[in-house]
Amino acid sequence: MSSKSIGLAWTLIRTDFKTRFHGTFSGFVWALLKPAAMFLVLMSVFSFLFKDPSYKLQLVVGLFLWDFFAEGTKSGLAALHAKSFLFRKLRVPLWILVIAAIANPFITLMVSTMVIVLFLTAIGQPPSLVAVGLFAFYSVSMTLIVVGFSLAASVLFLKYRDLNQVWDMVTQAGFFLAPIIYPLNIVPERFHFYFYIWPPTPIIEFSRAALVSGHPASVLAHVYLVLEVAVVLAVGTIVLKRMGPRAAELV
Amino acid sequence: MSAPLIEVDSVSKSFWIPDEPRHTIREHVMAGFRPRPRRHLPVLDSVSLQLHKGEALGIMGANGCGKSTLLKLVCGIYLPDAGTITTRAPITPILDLGVGWNPELDAVDNVYLIGGLMGLSLAEIARDLDAMLDFAELRSYARMRLKYFSSGMAARLAYAVAFQAVRDVLVLDEVLAVGDAGFKQRCQERYREIRAAGHSTLVVSHDPLLIGEFCDRAVLLSGGRIVAEGPAPDVAETYLSRLVKAS
Repeated sequence: MSSKSIGLAWTLIRTDFKTRFHGTFSGFVWALLKPAAMFLVLMSVFSFLFKDPSYKLQLVVGLFLWDFFAEGTKSGLAALHAKSFLFRKLRVPLWILVIAAIANPFITLMVSTMVIVLFLTAIGQPPSLVAVGLFAFYSVSMTLIVVGFSLAASVLFLKYRDLNQVWDMVTQAGFFLAPIIYPLNIVPERFHFYFYIWPPTPIIEFSRAALVSGHPASVLAHVYLVLEVAVVLAVGTIVLKRMGPRAAELV
Repeated sequence: MSAPLIEVDSVSKSFWIPDEPRHTIREHVMAGFRPRPRRHLPVLDSVSLQLHKGEALGIMGANGCGKSTLLKLVCGIYLPDAGTITTRAPITPILDLGVGWNPELDAVDNVYLIGGLMGLSLAEIARDLDAMLDFAELRSYARMRLKYFSSGMAARLAYAVAFQAVRDVLVLDEVLAVGDAGFKQRCQERYREIRAAGHSTLVVSHDPLLIGEFCDRAVLLSGGRIVAEGPAPDVAETYLSRLVKAS
């Protein structure tokens, strides 16, 4: 990865952010406030509905991670189609366009993480450094999964124009497959393996274990997670390498 | 003589135009994933050319003869079906002016955006920003959003960035004539400076005067094949005489 590639990625992210929020300071503040406001709304509603304080926090952690996964994959899938006017006239590394498209949901995830950590500290349950470190690792893992998916899906979308609708349906079903609104232990243990194949499941479960319950997942579980991330990234890279060179002819 | 910077060897390119459009997974499933009936559209047939260091090569030909496809192959935007393209130096393609402009951003941000896309580093853009704005005569409009620019102002800015981004080989597709007479004059001067600095250029144009004046050699494409090759003024004249015959 050259310094020019990094510079281009940074410029694309910066200008996209500036366009989205009209380059104003209030726009930037709103970008930061949105996840914080969402956190407050969710916590208020869940406090009214659920009495168990750890459950509502687990729900919020799950929802924020899911939101990043759903938004990131949606933006990543459309990344090349949205910027096709560039690679039809210029030789642009396609992966940079994909990464730039995912940056905005990633910024939201970072802000959400800060809000959760601040909240835990405010209510007298500050997460340990290990817990914060583990959560950072899970966030990076989720980001790499979103990147891997997007590398493949963005170039496939140039050929199959209803892939976004198919993915919409998958994410709707996936929301209920991932243990976001229910605890995984209500599912018989012999089925857990299948639930863990869906990439958001281990990340959401491990994040809750580290941040909320304070009992991190086992080392073996982390090995599985790393393998899952590696497989998604490898598949995404292979698909982009195979189809990417003909991307300009697919549009 | 050193090896050519660009070597196109027996390159062919064709496109397959499907008779039955199938753009979605649903359409593929409904068709049982059977192969689609497609028409073969040959665009380039065994084209060979070389571009040497410091040389300016013109490419001429009627509409649809494969000029732009050849440039996209040279720039790595398309892949050839057959033959090989060897590039031994970085290429700056200017196939369209203002590709990637964002009208919601001001001139400075657009310079960073387009400069980055054309291969300039952030440090290079920061160093040359004033020179680019001066060349485009837009220093006093640096913080104005592009959507308020006239098309001439936007084109001047596009040229300024493109000329600053030139690496060893400059590839131009019909984009050497915008703006008023004064600006056109400055563009041509800048082009000569680029040539004098030892850069090589590959120029596509319909304009025989431009090819004759700015290129050393030229090739004439017709039906995807090179039908004439030689000193630029001679090829430009061949192109003109073929046009006259055709009409």
